[in-house]
Amino acid sequence: MSGRGVWLRARTRLRRFPALLAGCGEQAAAYGRCVAAAAAGTTELRRDACLEEFRALQDCFARAAKATPK
Amino acid sequence: MAAAAVGARALRGTGRPVLRAGWGAGWRRLWALSGRAAAAASSPVGASSGSGALSPFDRRLKRKQKNWAALQAEPAKCDYLREEVGSRIADRVYDITRTFPLALDVGSGRGYIARHLTKETVEKLIQVDIAENALKNAVESEIPTVSVVADEEFLPFKEDTFDLVVSSLSLHWVNDLPRAFREIHQVLKPDGVFIGAMFGGDTLYELRCSLQLAELEREGGFSPHISPFTAVADLGHLLSRAGFNTLTVDTDEIQVNYPGLFEVMEDLQGMGESNCSWNRKPLLHRETMLAAAAIYREMYGNSDGSVPATFQIFYMIGWKFHESQARPAQRGSATVSFGDLAKIDGLLSRGKK
Repeated sequence: MSGRGVWLRARTRLRRFPALLAGCGEQAAAYGRCVAAAAAGTTELRRDACLEEFRALQDCFARAAKATPK
Repeated sequence: MAAAAVGARALRGTGRPVLRAGWGAGWRRLWALSGRAAAAASSPVGASSGSGALSPFDRRLKRKQKNWAALQAEPAKCDYLREEVGSRIADRVYDITRTFPLALDVGSGRGYIARHLTKETVEKLIQVDIAENALKNAVESEIPTVSVVADEEFLPFKEDTFDLVVSSLSLHWVNDLPRAFREIHQVLKPDGVFIGAMFGGDTLYELRCSLQLAELEREGGFSPHISPFTAVADLGHLLSRAGFNTLTVDTDEIQVNYPGLFEVMEDLQGMGESNCSWNRKPLLHRETMLAAAAIYREMYGNSDGSVPATFQIFYMIGWKFHESQARPAQRGSATVSFGDLAKIDGLLSRGKK
């Protein structure tokens, strides 16, 4: 990945994240609770321990990204 | 201005052959020389005794990051933390009721300490920073200032030059901290004082934990995204090993609330505090960032929806030895015993008579 254009485009896309995430508060909270519970538990946090919650969050995020015009 | 010219001539006669302080047009030459010296000295061959430093930070990248941060459209937008710490350091300078003829600001950035000091406290100030754009955009101050582009580990000044050395929030990116402290101790005059502030211990632990948990859950492993910080006990040892006396180290915690993880990272970038460790992971996946933002909000969020970011600041004050300084009394020279503490009233009234 080289060139200023890529970096600038990535930053513009990234700037939309907080607004898009704001609309998915429920899913984000559910995912956060799942990870906090898994991390506090007796076993170590494994990969994809909270896969369903994350998929829900990702879907909500993708829908929000498609809905709002860039 | 005559005094400044004399000062410049005195400083130019530095004994070290590699680095020469060049005022004005000589800026870039100075940086190029100390850059080569930095590359040569920080290569992990272990030639110098007692250092063994592995150079965890990429200083060239840090310079680019700081230059970029200083060239932003609104450089004052991300300055709040440095402003606050700069004013607290200026408070500590005022606590010492002396006038300092010549002072040095190591890693000054846009000059956050100078704007709080007066000509009565500091008569002349030299600001040193690794990023020339920050020095060029420095804020006006009433103290006559000279700017030098140099690395904090390779100060291009003669021994016993400065009455006061201050450093605000720049030593945490130094590769060889013991060496930086030794250099500062060297350029101080006897009975000179060093007042510094650096990030330590628990700084940004919320961000560190959120990224760590997100990477564990999303990718199965994690790599460090926050640079390692010094612990307060180590700081005391480092300062005394460098030769400082009468140490004072105290810690302060500043908590700043942000809307979310992305804003935290954006402001850190704007401050020039982006990660520049050699072992940093170059890519942070969008999914991981999303996951980290959700974890940050859930685990650490405030009731009003904002998230806190903790900055733990260590303030240190160290003096260079001089005969006039107070020293601990000799063993066996006590005139009263601790066992007599119960009779302290009697002792005091006897003393008054």
